Amino acid sequence: MFRDLNPILHSQLRLAVMSLLVSVREADFTFLKDKTNATAGNLSVQIQKLKDAGYIDVSKQFKDNYPQTTCKITTAGIKAFDEYVRNLRTYLAK
Amino acid sequence: MEEQPQLSERESLDLIAKMIQKARGSFHENGTSAILWGSVVAIAGLINFAEEYWHFYIGFDIWLIVLAALIPQIFISVKERRIRQAVPHDASFMNAIWLVYGISIFALLFYFNVVPGAADRSFKEAGNELLIKNTATGVVQHFTPYVFSHFSLLLILYAIPTLAIGIALKFRPMLIGGVLCYIFFVASCFTATVWDILLNALAGVFNWLIPGLILRSRYYKGRNC
Repeated sequence: MFRDLNPILHSQLRLAVMSLLVSVREADFTFLKDKTNATAGNLSVQIQKLKDAGYIDVSKQFKDNYPQTTCKITTAGIKAFDEYVRNLRTYLAK
Repeated sequence: MEEQPQLSERESLDLIAKMIQKARGSFHENGTSAILWGSVVAIAGLINFAEEYWHFYIGFDIWLIVLAALIPQIFISVKERRIRQAVPHDASFMNAIWLVYGISIFALLFYFNVVPGAADRSFKEAGNELLIKNTATGVVQHFTPYVFSHFSLLLILYAIPTLAIGIALKFRPMLIGGVLCYIFFVASCFTATVWDILLNALAGVFNWLIPGLILRSRYYKGRNC
């Protein structure tokens, strides 16, 4: 029995961001941009989508007079990611 | 806005693995703090050993440089926090273990300085006095108690954070350093204080300085890759 893959996560950049965030306690926007090689605009949009889904928390503050965006995966995000990986495995096991 | 390409199941799994690996590969401890504390303990230990062994005094308690090292440590911590782009999951555990170690070491130093005086006072209050007799001259004089072999206790404390982190992070140089501290502790129970001081200096080298230098070399290798 194959389950539908979560459409929020089944997209290249959003999945990359979630995979990075699941591996750390929290990460700056710059860190995510460097690791994913995404453009700032595209990354912002995908981060917003993950935030709207309740999968990540985004906090904005100033650090050394520069704006700093920090992202952190939520419990709902960890649950969704875990379920997504389990569903992926059922596809690959066929 | 750019369309997000759809991935095959295999591509998704590969992407997840690649990103997790990238995230993990980003955390290379540069070893600055370990090098700082290893050097400070080693220098203080070696100078103190030289003072005791060759009977001279440099004019101040060399172990005070441990207190002075707190200043560069604060700068290092602030700088590392400023340039850090992501916080690993084990950051809280590492910070907690070093904080507890720092508090414990200063509590132990406090104990070494306060307890002898307190013991002396309590003897006096009970109407007693500790006396010591020189068996060669027969001279009996007042004896102020002190903590015997206190460098041995420091060796046990040095081992705790290093061994715990060495085991948790599977970092062999710290694991070896921690185990060596326990070996030095056992040895120090049978040696004179002057050699205990030397063992403290060696503990600084094996516990922090060498692991710190290894971390630093890995950090630069990781940056160059």
